[in-house]
Amino acid sequence: MNAEALRAAVAGAAGVTEASLRTAVAARAAGGPPVDEPYDDLARKIGEASYRVTDAEVETVRQAAGSDKAAFEVVMSACVGAGLTRWDAATRVIEEATDAPG
Amino acid sequence: MRLAEVERGENLRGRALIRIISMALGARLPDAARVAFYHKGFVGSTLGAWTHEAMRGPSAWSVAERELMAAMVAQWNSCPFCVGAHRAIAVRGMDKTIADACLADYHTAPISEPLRATLAMLETMTSRPDELRAAQARAAMAAGATRQQLTDAAAVAAVFNIVTRYANALDFAIPTDAEFDKAAVMMLKRGYA
Repeated sequence: MNAEALRAAVAGAAGVTEASLRTAVAARAAGGPPVDEPYDDLARKIGEASYRVTDAEVETVRQAAGSDKAAFEVVMSACVGAGLTRWDAATRVIEEATDAPG
Repeated sequence: MRLAEVERGENLRGRALIRIISMALGARLPDAARVAFYHKGFVGSTLGAWTHEAMRGPSAWSVAERELMAAMVAQWNSCPFCVGAHRAIAVRGMDKTIADACLADYHTAPISEPLRATLAMLETMTSRPDELRAAQARAAMAAGATRQQLTDAAAVAAVFNIVTRYANALDFAIPTDAEFDKAAVMMLKRGYA
């Protein structure tokens, strides 16, 4: 399953940031609970309205995370979280629509 | 591009790759490709494989229809880079006026009813996922879409709900129409993996 492989990759060993940060950021962008700043602002905005993300928000996260690569992981984790929650919703309703009697 | 290392390449090999492909393309390598080459061991390879399967794998939807779906998701997520990139690929397999009519208003565009009803489901999935209900999937099937087509379309929308977000968050540079066209030829030839 592609979606499950992607979920596993976000939490996997290939990251330079803590896996717990990546999974929390992914959950936040999917509408989950707040994470520590400055990650919370960026994760929430990526989930809700990514076109409103600013230079300053990415730069603040880059400084807090310590490198471009670490900031990249934070951004990608948030994006994957927002995408996978939509995939989960869609597959659930497709299943309901085809499995429900009548 | 908001992260300098992603733009220039993470090492000598990455920078050489960007230079060589830009030369072959005859244009600045689009930022989407720079992201795809960066830190691939993290999520890049997995996302690339899913994207390739969703966009180029077997499906009752044509490649052009799937590219149009990607452009529609980009429009709903206010991502001009992805609207331009995927419209440019779509119009190589469908009438330009139909693609543009769909981007302007898919409710009235001259597209098939299964596609129209599927786009309605994808719009809710993208813009208001909490409101997505089985009724919308049933409506798309009543309009003629199969369960497999809905799953295939949902995969396209899932992938582009990821891609559009990083295109926006990282502030991808917007190519010219001519550059989008050049990149479209490359994307049709090489795919996404």
